[in-house]
Amino acid sequence: MALAKGAGYTILVTIASVCAGLAIGLLMAVLSRLQWKPLSLFLAAYLYVFRSIPVLVLLFIVFFGLPSMGIRIPPFTAMVLTLGLISGAYLAEIFRGAMSAVDRDEILAAEAMGMSRMQSFLYIILPQMFRMSIPGMINEFTSILKYTPFAYTVGIPEIMKEAMSLAALTLRGVEIYLAVGIIYFAIYKLFVMLFMVFEKKFRVPGLAHE
Amino acid sequence: MALLEVKNLVKKFDDKDVLKGINVELSEGQSKVVMGGSGCGKSTMLRCLNLLIQPTSGEIIFKGEDITRPGVDVRKLRQDIGFVFQHFALYRHLTVQDNVTLGLRKLKKMSANDATEKALYELERVDMVEHRHKYPAQLSGGQKQRVAIVRALAMDPAVLFLDEPTSALDPQMTREVVTVINKLFLDNITMLCVTHDPFLAKYISDSIVFLDKGVVVAEDIAERLFYDHPDPRVRHFFLSVIDHR
Amino acid sequence: MDAFINDLIAYSPQIMAGLKNTVLLMVIMSVTGLIGGVAVFYLTLSRANAVRTWVERYISFFIGTPLLVHLFLMYYGLPQLGVHLSAFTVCIIGFTLNVSAYNARYLMTAYHGLDKTELEAAQAQGFTPPEIFRLIILPQVIRLSVPSLTNQVIQNLKDTSVAFLIQYPDFFAQVQEIASTNFQFFKAYMTAGLVYLVLVSIIVLAARRLEKRLILPGFQT
Repeated sequence: MALAKGAGYTILVTIASVCAGLAIGLLMAVLSRLQWKPLSLFLAAYLYVFRSIPVLVLLFIVFFGLPSMGIRIPPFTAMVLTLGLISGAYLAEIFRGAMSAVDRDEILAAEAMGMSRMQSFLYIILPQMFRMSIPGMINEFTSILKYTPFAYTVGIPEIMKEAMSLAALTLRGVEIYLAVGIIYFAIYKLFVMLFMVFEKKFRVPGLAHE
Repeated sequence: MALLEVKNLVKKFDDKDVLKGINVELSEGQSKVVMGGSGCGKSTMLRCLNLLIQPTSGEIIFKGEDITRPGVDVRKLRQDIGFVFQHFALYRHLTVQDNVTLGLRKLKKMSANDATEKALYELERVDMVEHRHKYPAQLSGGQKQRVAIVRALAMDPAVLFLDEPTSALDPQMTREVVTVINKLFLDNITMLCVTHDPFLAKYISDSIVFLDKGVVVAEDIAERLFYDHPDPRVRHFFLSVIDHR
Repeated sequence: MDAFINDLIAYSPQIMAGLKNTVLLMVIMSVTGLIGGVAVFYLTLSRANAVRTWVERYISFFIGTPLLVHLFLMYYGLPQLGVHLSAFTVCIIGFTLNVSAYNARYLMTAYHGLDKTELEAAQAQGFTPPEIFRLIILPQVIRLSVPSLTNQVIQNLKDTSVAFLIQYPDFFAQVQEIASTNFQFFKAYMTAGLVYLVLVSIIVLAARRLEKRLILPGFQT
């Protein structure tokens, strides 16, 4: 029972982090299109730093480090911020790659039709980019889910924390952690299935993404 | 007065002169083809005329207004000029029908119903209605180009630009597309088409402008241009592209 | 700041020992993970349906569940059955199983992109399946996967920071120690982040050199 409640938190942390990551990734990918020198330097630095730093280290900086600088962040926000910043860096790369795969002629055609840059971005680039990014997004989502157990280190009562107290109480670690593994796998399968349903709904012949 | 009047159009890329003072006129209902060898500047010229490429100097008078001047609403202008690309440039994520309605809905602000009705009417003209729910990847090259033409025409432009519309097609599909453009020609649609294919040029033009190294060297009807033209550059070009049998 | 630097210097033997453990862990699991990955990949090509199904399940399970759960299961769970493994052993087993699953996935992806007529040609020439795997498939698939495989090494380095949660005295565990004695949490963790950044940069540079050496004409990935 406690595990089920924990699973709720795990799913909540995952969804919030995925949303944060998507927002940050999309913003970064869009900004990278502006091709303004100082901005691209900043973006390159951002990608490099947040793809190099381990999740646990960043989480500790945000949750345990920042308070000593006078910035206090609640556990849930700290976790979501950490995973959002890191997955945002990976997603920005995925989105950027997908955007550069959009046929330049199609963008030119949109311009020739009289669309503004905003319109061609909204109606041509974005819809294609999302479709081509689906495998990358599934990977990123999986990573996020798999990093959520770290949330126990900052005191969020997700699956892992519940499992630990349960294991301490019952001394049945093997069964409990096996059950935890199965719960995670079920969540993973569930989300992948959801993604696949979406993917099928929006699938377009000829827009390959492998 | 001409619908489109190009005066002394110059385009330099870095230090290379691609267009060295082009003069062309196009009246309403008229169809002209621009020909010339590769690298003569014909595609650059076409892209200058709807400002996809910024010309270096010269005047482009469209509907009585010089569009090279600052303050021109480029997007309004482009909505009034249909453009057909060599490689079709259909939007891969949209069905045939949505490719046609996108501009109508988002640029002309038509309602979805009106846009669909208009799209079906236009698709009918090129015999593509039955394929309206297919995606570009499911079409042949000829079919793609027919859709691309309709996508441009549906916006009711004042003039239709075509950039090498048959160059990416095999002979069978080329015939298919030439037939469609010929129909537009007979309907007196105003067109400006760039091509190096004399077969296409002959069937869709009132007159042909011949470009060489960034200047207009001749303008005439197909029959007089293709065979024994006094200018050696013209004669040479057509000797090499026309099968004289 | 001075006080913090003094602390760093004072604790440097401990930090260096931690760093050594981190790098050791990363190197070992990168090697075992690659060997495991190739082995798992070999099994995915098996003719027996049952083998393929189970291998696919194995990969899917380890990609779909957190490493931390596997580590906790072995470190905190197994003693209940009388099996006591050291933190180091648990890390090696857990990481190897995980990394092998990922590496096998990358190799499979590369395999799908291979020109299958080459394999037919090898068959026609009279090579046995193991020979085809060793001489034709593996050299190509490894080359095609170099970017993914090196990314995995970077991932391995970062994931070693998890080890301290099962009491393995890695670099991050030492930083924890220092932070909890002088309460300079922000500076300590930022320093840790910086060190990981440097280590990743070293791997990236090494990977680039490796890629250049392995490149063959026509093998742009």
